[in-house]
Amino acid sequence: MNSSRRKFLQTGATTAALAATAGCGVDWRNPVRGFVAAAGFDSQPFQPPTAEAIDPVAHVLNRLSFGARPGDYQRVRKLGATPEEAARAYVEEQLQPEKLDDSLADRIVRRFDALDEPAAEMFEYKERFLLNQMVKAAVLRAVYSERQLYEVMVGFWTDHFNIDPGKGDCRWLKASDDRAVVRKFALGDCGLSEPVTILDRLQTFWAGESSAPKPAFNFPAMLRASALSPAMLWYLDGRSNRKANPAEKPNENYARELLELHTLGVHAGYQQKDVMEVARCLTGWTVRGKRQFGKAMVEFNQRLHDDGPKTVLGQTIPAGLGAGDLDRVLNIVALHPATAKHIATKLCRRFISDEPSGAAVATVADEFIASSGDIRATLRKLFATGDFLNARGNKFKRPFHFIVSALRATRAGTDADQQLISYLERMGHVPFHYPTPDGYPEEPGPWLGTMLWRWNFAVNLGENKIKGTRVDLKSLTAHAGGEEKLMAHLLGRRATKEERAAYHDSGAGPALCLASPAFQWC
Amino acid sequence: MATPQTFITGNGDQRKTLVVVFMRGGADGLNLVAPLEDAGYYKARPRIALGKDTALKLDGFFGLNPLLKPLHEIFHSGELALVHAAGSEDGTRSHFEAQDLMEHGGVAGGGWLGRFLRARPGNVSGPLSAVVFGRTMPESLRGAPSATVMQSFDDFLLGGQSHSLTASLEKLYGAEKSAVGRAGLDTLGALKDIENLRNASYHPAAGAEYGRDEFSRGLLQLARLIKARVGLEAASVDLNGWDSHINQGALMNPMMTRLGTGLAAFRRDLGKEMANVTVVVMTEFGRRLAENSAFGTDHGRGGVMFVMGGGIQGGRVLGKWPGLKDEVLEGPGDLPVTTNYRNVLAALLKKHSPAADLARTFPAFELAPLPLFG
Repeated sequence: MNSSRRKFLQTGATTAALAATAGCGVDWRNPVRGFVAAAGFDSQPFQPPTAEAIDPVAHVLNRLSFGARPGDYQRVRKLGATPEEAARAYVEEQLQPEKLDDSLADRIVRRFDALDEPAAEMFEYKERFLLNQMVKAAVLRAVYSERQLYEVMVGFWTDHFNIDPGKGDCRWLKASDDRAVVRKFALGDCGLSEPVTILDRLQTFWAGESSAPKPAFNFPAMLRASALSPAMLWYLDGRSNRKANPAEKPNENYARELLELHTLGVHAGYQQKDVMEVARCLTGWTVRGKRQFGKAMVEFNQRLHDDGPKTVLGQTIPAGLGAGDLDRVLNIVALHPATAKHIATKLCRRFISDEPSGAAVATVADEFIASSGDIRATLRKLFATGDFLNARGNKFKRPFHFIVSALRATRAGTDADQQLISYLERMGHVPFHYPTPDGYPEEPGPWLGTMLWRWNFAVNLGENKIKGTRVDLKSLTAHAGGEEKLMAHLLGRRATKEERAAYHDSGAGPALCLASPAFQWC
Repeated sequence: MATPQTFITGNGDQRKTLVVVFMRGGADGLNLVAPLEDAGYYKARPRIALGKDTALKLDGFFGLNPLLKPLHEIFHSGELALVHAAGSEDGTRSHFEAQDLMEHGGVAGGGWLGRFLRARPGNVSGPLSAVVFGRTMPESLRGAPSATVMQSFDDFLLGGQSHSLTASLEKLYGAEKSAVGRAGLDTLGALKDIENLRNASYHPAAGAEYGRDEFSRGLLQLARLIKARVGLEAASVDLNGWDSHINQGALMNPMMTRLGTGLAAFRRDLGKEMANVTVVVMTEFGRRLAENSAFGTDHGRGGVMFVMGGGIQGGRVLGKWPGLKDEVLEGPGDLPVTTNYRNVLAALLKKHSPAADLARTFPAFELAPLPLFG
């Protein structure tokens, strides 16, 4: 890319977007108003839930999406004769994101096209610029995408394969990891492809793939992409894991997290010896630095590889396999029963409850194995369990989920201005800002200190005091058909007597609903 | 109603509070705590060295700058320890690089304090677990659960301060039978606590006299938070402006006065509470041994760290003193680092939370915590 185009991209993004979307009815000179109009704010009256408790439709909207928008409940309810049937139809719809038109969200994030550059091109940008773009794009996709389950899974895998872009070249490389590892594989084959460069081809050559295998989009494929992701090689020091001479000790960082976090899970029975053997297998894989020719290129350096025989989890890997050790190791762990249990447990914790039953975990783990790590099939099984259907309203929203669900519920127009992001900062949940490899915690404990900032967000959102974000609660109330119905929309069920009283007594109305305990759960 | 304190600890224990004071700009350890008995010191600093007769005696070898006089008595009472030739492995002598590396705790994601607060056992955070007095979040707290940046108590408010809103929230959260209900009530309690602090006039205990500068103001508010038992576990206060390339005295003297006055007032104000409070003072690097032509010093390596309170065994200058002979000096003539700053922090964190996994806090570093507690 030439420098004038780059400069144009960094400074003239709004103009470019305006030109690109002329005629789409989106006013890009005023992004907030543009988004509001694009999101159909002035749309039809809608029918909120009417049941006393969260019904299956409200439940799947709670769990598979970042929260129901006005009209979502009504639309999904009509997908089936009973609420259960409708909920199942929504699950199936969300499991096939490629069939959902997502042109609005695509248009909205188009201005972040620096994120679409090949990895090596990222170095042309300021790291803070890239990080800001990634954060904003993540928020806006979560708010506006129709492919909600897909975005939820993007969040899940972002935590699972967490990389903090504060370390080394991750500052530039996380953006390509987000695209080529997380978003590419988050929910099976969604038809997302990577730009292929000459260096990518070279890389394939280095990796020793003379005949390219049929692309798979299952967990093993994702794991492999992550193992060879330039950002991951930086973040967990794989790039400096080498054994050039007998005295050199391999760097075990990635090997340990591969077993403990990415696959088997802690206490899964592997030993320190296994970690050391895995590290030996992966010696020699490295990534070129930002000052080198071919920067960001992943390569295998036989000279730095320990090519002796190894034993991983009791399986022998013979000497002399060179780069082939990598796939041997990944084959041992990717579909290991402990990995299945680990991934199933994490999925059940995300979608069912913080303490899922052993039976549900076993069902999901079995499907993970049976489908060879097919993420869609595994999730389909999870959503079909009785545990899933019955565990309603018992998951505490993490701050990101809370903010996005409030924006969606109020059909807010937002350009994800820094003022909005600052709420996530205060609550310690800005995307791509988690320091350690384990990803943001899922359980409520670490988030219980965030209540004040949730309330302040709700109040300031309601009063239109957040720069770059606008709501029209009056018209929202009218479209819902009055205050009682608006409350039912926000809570996913009819409000209790106490909630109705608080709505009126507080003087804050809808903001009180967003600040209330019920809205903190999903 | 449960207070945040009892909620956070679960058993009503007194939470320990760690206060991190960062002297940004590279504070000259050799002028704060001078090696009076090292001839190399006087040889390299003919014009700006601290005189043997003006320095306050510490242990027969080192002397304290007289502008830090308020700390002298604390040192001899055993509540203050000094660690000399302390610093990081960063050899760039760049403010940015050195601060970045030190606050991140190495080439790692997130800040060391952020990781510690995340990784300690019983990872439950309250609304005021971590507080920064200043304008921005320091990198050391990057990744912390809900750290609050405030310049004053006015920054901890519920929008509009409407009584009817808090009353409604209190009803709803009071009826919520879960940890979230308790968290809501705790937050309302914290708001009330802070509101009380805001409205009450405050008289520091035992005649403690804080300065009028921003640093002292931060420490004073911190002392109030600690006394109010709001569940504070970690706090960060910066003291900026130590980059003394030119006319070192003019630049450093007022800084030292602020540092000494603030810390001494804080300790006097807290009194017995200091047993549960540890203050650590650090900087990104010390300065060159030799003075430059402009009566200043340039970026160096080893500096000095202060540790106060928390039941430490003070009255000692810790760390291996390498001496100031030419062959010992590093690079352009700098005091080498003999104690990695992590080994000071690790000792404090270990005391703060004995079961914490410090390998997560300071990854890729073989820790050997300094024996600060005897």
